[in-house]
Amino acid sequence: MAIVRRAETVDLPIPARDEVRGRLGPQLRRWLPILIGALLAAAMIVMAAAAPLLAPMSPSAQFSNAVLKGPGAVEGHWLGTDEFGRDILSRIIWGARVSLEVGLASVMIAFTIGVPLGILAGFRGGRTETAIMRGADMLMAFPTLLLALIIVTALGGSLVNEILAIGIALLPNFVRLARSLSLTIRENDYIMAARAIGAGQLRLMARHVFPNALYALIVVATLYIATAIRTEASLSFLGLGVPPPTPTWGNILSDGRQYIKCCPWITTFSGLAIMLAVLAFNIVGDALRDLLDPRMRGD
Amino acid sequence: MIQYIVRRLLVAIPMLLGAMSIVFFAMRVLPSDPCVAMMGGDATAAALADCSKNLGLDRPLAAQYVNYLWRSVRFDFGTSFRQGYPVGEYIARMFPHTFVLVMASAVVAALVGIPIGIISALKRRNPLIDYPLRIFALLGLSMPVFWLGILLLIVFSLRFDLFPLIGGGDLEGVISMIRSGEMFSYPRDFLKAVGDVLYHLTLPALALGFTLAATVSRLSRSAMLEVVSQDYIRTARAKGNIERIVIYKHALRNMMVPLLTIVGVFIAIALTGTVLTETVFTRPGLGKMLVDAIGARDYPLAQGAVTVFTMIIIVVNLVVDMLYAVVDPRITYR
Repeated sequence: MAIVRRAETVDLPIPARDEVRGRLGPQLRRWLPILIGALLAAAMIVMAAAAPLLAPMSPSAQFSNAVLKGPGAVEGHWLGTDEFGRDILSRIIWGARVSLEVGLASVMIAFTIGVPLGILAGFRGGRTETAIMRGADMLMAFPTLLLALIIVTALGGSLVNEILAIGIALLPNFVRLARSLSLTIRENDYIMAARAIGAGQLRLMARHVFPNALYALIVVATLYIATAIRTEASLSFLGLGVPPPTPTWGNILSDGRQYIKCCPWITTFSGLAIMLAVLAFNIVGDALRDLLDPRMRGD
Repeated sequence: MIQYIVRRLLVAIPMLLGAMSIVFFAMRVLPSDPCVAMMGGDATAAALADCSKNLGLDRPLAAQYVNYLWRSVRFDFGTSFRQGYPVGEYIARMFPHTFVLVMASAVVAALVGIPIGIISALKRRNPLIDYPLRIFALLGLSMPVFWLGILLLIVFSLRFDLFPLIGGGDLEGVISMIRSGEMFSYPRDFLKAVGDVLYHLTLPALALGFTLAATVSRLSRSAMLEVVSQDYIRTARAKGNIERIVIYKHALRNMMVPLLTIVGVFIAIALTGTVLTETVFTRPGLGKMLVDAIGARDYPLAQGAVTVFTMIIIVVNLVVDMLYAVVDPRITYR
């Protein structure tokens, strides 16, 4: 008897308040990370685009009365100054430009070259596939930073070369992904249907395979923007990026290394900027992947 | 199995060759002449020609290329432009430093990353546990190792004076004591030397290990998720096993196979990480050697370093592929 009673209490309907929370909870859990990541990323884009308006002073202006001063020690220099008396906050705001330019442009290069090659490899198969994939494997033998480092050393440090180097270094990742996506997509019935009504290979790839692979490719592209920004910062840090006096987060940090004893704020704030930017694109990419691929969520 | 190994080796050879060609040609189109870099802009034309001849740079590119490949196969990477002694010797001296750094950070990454990945997979429905752990993983993935290194230096070396600011300790001394057997005759001195090496290793290993732990935790999380959804786990539960036994005895062991896949990726990331870590901590090693060689336009040294890096990555991936068959008997190779 007692058992039956206990079973009854368990089966009681859940109170309405919990029901509402239960419905809102997963929605919030799903969208909150995207919101935080997107806000961070948007902040970075605004910072880069409106640097001349946002920066309190010129990034190269030297203030001889404020050399190596801590945050707030001198009026107007909220994040302190470096060894030439330049304002750290202004340099970080301007530094967002290089990071974002390299991050977006290099991923765009890798995407526009890598995706068509990958789709072609997956769709055509045979010798085309072997040739493209062996080339990609060869580039894959190098970790991203190492390959970018070799290329940028060969070409010399400048904004365009850095974009090219990181773009080429990321290229094989896009080739591989696009190939595996197109291998799956080409088996679909709608491809056969399109083929039956006389669509040519180019049309099949451009109008049918590519649009169906686009979602997954965009997710991965977002994650690689994070990788590209980190790689750019690493190259700048090693002294192989955009040459000074153009401020980049990596070269601000690298210059600040000599002064970590007296003036840790230079390295602390520039590093924080790098981390937040990388974090923003990682969060957005992660959240997008979770939304599009429920298997990865694990619930 | 043997057939598979042979085929896998044959695939690795053109890959290595291609990677080495990329390195060679990239280094040869460098904008500045190494002789000018070494002797300065004021050097006479005759002196520059002489330098070029000595370094073999006056020979046709094709001849230099063939020569480079042939010598690399025999681990002869030529003579360093700057230091003037064999690159192979230099690499052999630097390798142990990088090796201990990679190993120590692997230990840190495994000790931190694997438990975090497992817990976050098992407790994924508890947001109070899952969320902080996922945030930790995201932070680790996003934090540049050179920044974390500097923060550790600021706090532990400069503020609390607990660890050294630069250097790698007397690793050569430790190795020679092991080789000569002095470690047994002078155990106290040996332990002191080992202690000094560890003292220098702690912060770099923590910095690199923490950033790698994030990757490890993510991969162990998905490996664990994959395993707990298998039928044999349901069977283990259905038999009436308590949850702890199911996890420790059935899930953990099977999780190790997918985890093995990441060893190759891990080594590649860790080796790249050493380039930055060794630079931040001013530690001797292959990574710092590469950066210094590029700065000095020392072709043979830079080429040697990159070639060794690439060889290590290709060989590790090869070994990992073969280990699968040993660890998981269900996998067969044709």
